[in-house]
Amino acid sequence: MIDFTINSQAVQGQEGWTILEVARWNGIDIPTLCHHGALEPYGACRLCVVEVDEGRRSRVVISCMYPIKKGIKVQTSTPRVDNVRRWIVQLLLDESPASPHIQELAKTFGVTPSRFKKEGVDFACHLCGLCVRACQEVVGIQALTFGNRGLRKEITAPYHQRSMDCICCGSCLYVCPTGAMEKLFPQVSAP
Amino acid sequence: MKTEGKIGIFLCECGGKISNRIDLSQVSELLRYEPWEHLDAYPHPCLAPGLEAMRQEVKNKGLDRILVGGCSSRVMKKRFSSGLAEVGIEKHQVEMINLKDHVAAVHEASPQELARKAAALIAGGMASLKLLEPYEPVSLTFEGPALILGGGFSGFIAARELARQGMESLVFSKAETPERVLDELHWTFPGCRIFCGDLADLLREVFTHPRIKVMPDQPIDYIVGGVGDYHVGLKQPDGSVTEVAGAAIITALDREYGPGNIDYIGGGERVCDLLELEEKLGAGDISPGKMVFWVNSPQHGQAAQELAALAAWRDSLVLAREHPQVQPTVVYPANITLPLSGSDLREARAQGIGLLSYAPEVHPVVQSGFLSFVSPGDNLEHEVEWDTLVVPGAPAEPVEKAQELLRWLPIYPENGGGRLQKSNIKFWPDQIPDESLFFTGSAGGVCDLNEVIQQGKKAARGVLHLREKALQGRLVSPVVVHVDKDLCEGCGLCTEICPCGGIEHVKPGSGPVARETDNHLCSGGGTCAATCPHEAIKVLNNSTQQLEARLKAILGRMQEDEILGFVCGWGGLASAEQAAVKGLTYPRGIYLTPVNCLGSLDPFILSMAFLNGVKGIMLAGCTPKHSCHYHYGVDHCWYRVNAMKKLLSLAGLERRRIAIGYVEVNEPESFVRMVESQMDTLDKLPPLPQDDKTKARLWAIHATLHRPRVRWVLGTSLRRPAEKEFPGSQFNAVEADETMLDVLKEEFLAARIIKALSEQPLNPPGIARAMDEPVKNISPLLPDMAHEGRIALKGWEGGYPIYALGKA
Repeated sequence: MIDFTINSQAVQGQEGWTILEVARWNGIDIPTLCHHGALEPYGACRLCVVEVDEGRRSRVVISCMYPIKKGIKVQTSTPRVDNVRRWIVQLLLDESPASPHIQELAKTFGVTPSRFKKEGVDFACHLCGLCVRACQEVVGIQALTFGNRGLRKEITAPYHQRSMDCICCGSCLYVCPTGAMEKLFPQVSAP
Repeated sequence: MKTEGKIGIFLCECGGKISNRIDLSQVSELLRYEPWEHLDAYPHPCLAPGLEAMRQEVKNKGLDRILVGGCSSRVMKKRFSSGLAEVGIEKHQVEMINLKDHVAAVHEASPQELARKAAALIAGGMASLKLLEPYEPVSLTFEGPALILGGGFSGFIAARELARQGMESLVFSKAETPERVLDELHWTFPGCRIFCGDLADLLREVFTHPRIKVMPDQPIDYIVGGVGDYHVGLKQPDGSVTEVAGAAIITALDREYGPGNIDYIGGGERVCDLLELEEKLGAGDISPGKMVFWVNSPQHGQAAQELAALAAWRDSLVLAREHPQVQPTVVYPANITLPLSGSDLREARAQGIGLLSYAPEVHPVVQSGFLSFVSPGDNLEHEVEWDTLVVPGAPAEPVEKAQELLRWLPIYPENGGGRLQKSNIKFWPDQIPDESLFFTGSAGGVCDLNEVIQQGKKAARGVLHLREKALQGRLVSPVVVHVDKDLCEGCGLCTEICPCGGIEHVKPGSGPVARETDNHLCSGGGTCAATCPHEAIKVLNNSTQQLEARLKAILGRMQEDEILGFVCGWGGLASAEQAAVKGLTYPRGIYLTPVNCLGSLDPFILSMAFLNGVKGIMLAGCTPKHSCHYHYGVDHCWYRVNAMKKLLSLAGLERRRIAIGYVEVNEPESFVRMVESQMDTLDKLPPLPQDDKTKARLWAIHATLHRPRVRWVLGTSLRRPAEKEFPGSQFNAVEADETMLDVLKEEFLAARIIKALSEQPLNPPGIARAMDEPVKNISPLLPDMAHEGRIALKGWEGGYPIYALGKA
């Protein structure tokens, strides 16, 4: 057993568990977007950041992938952490102002749409990759992939064609945190 | 698998998403008297600490059935079954009740009220888990050659690949020498003369290889058996049948091309189609001058046009190399992508082959010696001069051979058209063990020779994969469907309706023999089990008995104004869960039960629900034809719902107590509208009357739906909105429906008579009084029933016969 503290509360876990898992097990809430119980952690959204003090200095790390170590001191809500999260939520909100999940996050962090808010898009895809991962890890096929890179990165079916591998199970729709998949689904699912 | 039946219930709080909406301690309280070994709530059972806690409980308490009350089993079940595999829990031992999406997120009610609904659903899950059966996978042998049927070119490739890997094969081919195969190749793959050198090498290897036996094509009498052990009967010219056995079947079918439509062009000898040209090329009889390949015929589709353009290009190359006196030009529509690479285009320039595209909006016009077309570049009409004009051949319908095979293999013409498709049932990839149905060739879709060669190789790899597994003793078939040999009467209805080839065929003329199942091909759709007139088929660990137990447990905890909902595992379930994801709400009075396909819903499940006092039922499935994952599953269900409606009205109840609807995966709004509408309809109706008369009638409905005769009629009936043919001697929709109604009326009446006699022996007027029915309605039926042995004539009294149950 590995002993450490989260918000000064003594907790323990096993080798290989992450901070997020131990925190949630102990009823400590850490907001996430790209994390899903059915899937391996991915670290795309960075919303789950926490401050970890390993003795020498403290760092802001993502809790969904950070393995627990003996004696670390984890703080889930410090000014540094909150600042990072607020910025992330701000950017998410500006991208998809109408998504209920994002709105909920915005309310928690007291964030309102900024002057950079995108016009004409209600449910934007944030490339969290949940749909792609669900298709691969849960369903076991690759009907969905990332296309392009950088600014042009997008969720698409291989070769930009409706995928024949798709079994139309709707897992991608189920895990999508913003509702963007609903628009994409007719373009990627099996004809 | 351990079979003591110790159930562990793990409730998920989901970080408050469930525990804030449902009072979980109340759920535990309501389930206090249920037979569980462990029940507790956890913050997040799906994360590593949660799974570890579950493993500890399984070890400490010896649990062998796991019920998780959490979220969607579609997405989460894999996590639990893989996380618990190390403590000996198998996939089917895990049951998930979706508290989040079916209860917590979609209803506006107090946590205590929702706890009652949650407890009912969990009690249902427990009742179903209790009936799990031990499950022994069957090890399969895989011996003998691969049988390559159909005579398509991909068959030769598959045979060569198999032979190189040390597996024998039997190839049935119309052509008996490599030369004949090549001579006939242009009938299926025009423009492939250019590859003849390579193909000849390949074919020589196939025809001389000791592991490959090329046999002349023979008509197929039957294909029986299953993966690992197929038997094919071949009709001989003298009328006898010889049988060949093999481990696997590869169906290689190519689409043939017929003569192109050149009558409207005219031009005599100067105009021909690609097939004629290739024959001329073979004979070396080519007239010099300008030869124009004109890719016309948009009616065959773009893929066919692309293939024709490619064939024209290849023939042009052959001409340019072998007949320099000919100047070929290919004229193709601009809306197709010419499948040529950069080096091909360089070669075209070097050889002087013209490539011209025309705007497809204006059909080119043929003149004597000229073809005028509009160029998409400048919108001007241009002319190209020709001495010989060549148009592509027309793709023909599937050949006779294909028809022969369709009878025995799960291959279907798509939408009744020319394209053949193997059973396109779509299920979770982990539900089928391995690809074991091999269908290759251009009959499955217009494609080039290269692609067909790849398909052949892929099929060979699939067969080798199966053989490899068999050699290691790992080729096991999960027993999905089980046919009870004692109950089966060999009527063959299941084979007829099975869309996936999971129920084996029997030899023609072998009479009523019990069916075997081929679990390698079975999809577990369950339509066969729900249809079987004698209830001899069971989908293991997903059986009708389990569903019945589940529903009884749920119904026992429901209130009288609440209804049951059945959702199919695809459109219905996904849209119901999507409603929760989108934050929609609907009335809490509907208790959803997911089933694999609505087609797996036995008709007596519906009557059982009414018999147990449910007010109404709603069913949500995929849109028929368009998206049902089991071909006609939802259409089978439609007939059962229809029969239920007819029986309800015969019993004097409202037909609208049961309704079926169709919804797609991403249409949660439609699902919510369906629920609201059916709840509204039922709100206007009184609860199901609980008096003895209604109960007796509901009992009779239930008994009617157990009758083999009724089940046979239901099984052979399938809603066919697009078809014009009806089964048996019926000629139209009304007639078919009336036949069904007559059967139901008669059997319903018979069931009511039996119910009346179950109390005491009665004479006809007595029966009529008990049933509240005129004597003249029932008296003709009584002697028949006595004759069949369903009731017995016990004696005479006052000039009236006395009937009773039991033997005479």
